[in-house]
Amino acid sequence: MRLGWIDPFFLASPVQAIGVLWSQLVSGNALYLILVTLYEIAAALLIATVVGLLVGFVLWRYQLIGASYELFLAALFSSPVILAYPVFLVFFGRTSAAVIVLSSFFGLVPIIMNTKSAFQHVNPILVQVGASMNLSRQRMFRHILLPAAAPTIFSGFRLGLTYILKSVLGLEYVIQVGGVGMWLSDAAFRFEVGEVYAGLVGTTLLSILFLFMINHAEMKVRK
Amino acid sequence: MNITGVRDAAGAVAAGAQTPAGVQTLTALAFLIAWQLIGMTGSILSELFPPITEIIKSLWHYLTTPILIPHLYASLYEVLGGLLVGSLFGIPLGILFGSRRSFMQVMEPIILYLAVVPKIIVFPVFILFLGIGTHSKLAVAAIAAFFPIALLTITGMREVRPVFLDVARTLGASTLKIATRIYLPAIAGYVFTGLRIGLGAAVTGALLAETKIARAGLGFMIVEYYGQFRMADMYALLLFIFILAALANWGMKALFSLLLPLPRSSENVAAFI
Repeated sequence: MRLGWIDPFFLASPVQAIGVLWSQLVSGNALYLILVTLYEIAAALLIATVVGLLVGFVLWRYQLIGASYELFLAALFSSPVILAYPVFLVFFGRTSAAVIVLSSFFGLVPIIMNTKSAFQHVNPILVQVGASMNLSRQRMFRHILLPAAAPTIFSGFRLGLTYILKSVLGLEYVIQVGGVGMWLSDAAFRFEVGEVYAGLVGTTLLSILFLFMINHAEMKVRK
Repeated sequence: MNITGVRDAAGAVAAGAQTPAGVQTLTALAFLIAWQLIGMTGSILSELFPPITEIIKSLWHYLTTPILIPHLYASLYEVLGGLLVGSLFGIPLGILFGSRRSFMQVMEPIILYLAVVPKIIVFPVFILFLGIGTHSKLAVAAIAAFFPIALLTITGMREVRPVFLDVARTLGASTLKIATRIYLPAIAGYVFTGLRIGLGAAVTGALLAETKIARAGLGFMIVEYYGQFRMADMYALLLFIFILAALANWGMKALFSLLLPLPRSSENVAAFI
């Protein structure tokens, strides 16, 4: 890079990119953008978790419904649903809400699937032990089913969070709204190459940091 | 009127509705009818729910006239080119990283972590280097396809048990024989799954990039229709893309199960990407 082999118009040097990232962080500009992105991720995750746990539970509890709708969900999830984002723009306008609602879908499906399969695969011996102790339905759920299902549900949660992360950052960039992704898109639009690379590095770091924290949390839960 | 006959028929319908297929059909029907009613009356958000009949008319128009051909061609070029480039890098690198435990320990976490980063964000850089034509989207598709392909190849390499290699070496197998008789059968299923998931990633990557900046392509047309507020045309196009993607996915599954009769459970690894 330093040798001038590549036109600096195309490729900012790493030093330059880190410099821009640092100055943006210090000025508080990047901090604000990161907060917006974090807010969107948190909101999407909250929706996905609440709805996902409920729906997953219903799909497990009522087998007919479960067997019927699991296929729909899987089919929908494997299609490029994200391309339907203009529909959400019509509904919510160019706002964070559009990003949040569409992103929550990508977190929703793995949480539903894992919740359903977690309850399905609770060791029957545990349930029999509970039954022999004459546990009431609520206590059976609270003390037997829930703890046994928790690890699988948590991995669904982790999977959901990674999908949400991807979708929030990607959508922010594509529809140029919200936080870090919007900054990247904006910088590219203004041909601020240094800022583009800074945004790229920042987004990558943010994703990696998130995954690292989730993995860490999962290890703690499994202990 | 034979009352028992009617009752039997009603009973049969009710029993049919008790099976998953019955519930699925009823749900789909209810969904379509509700949409059509909302669309016809225009009571709720008429711009968001155009009548189903209009969407189908538009879909029929796409299928019978050459209007989408240039866009289909551009998108196919990006997706298939991306898949090719992604696998040209992903499979050899996956084999390389998976071949030594030390490589794997270093590279697998790096690839896993980078896999979570949305690939679309590299698009502005590709635009700088490759312009706003098809090649910048091809590059996005390639990088999106690379990760599942590389990760699943690594996973396949890990499945090769050292015992197999020891046995083969003891029996005096050549390096070529070890490659074709032990490694190839072990990783083929994983590589195929990687290619199939890579295709999905390439479709999403390329078409999403097209919606951002492009001159042609199916994703570009989605945004064109959205910009002109032709919602029925946009839904029809989305439906068209979903059907194409599902057909491609199904076709690859069928092809691979033909080539590789032994099913291997590599889907759970794929859930990561």
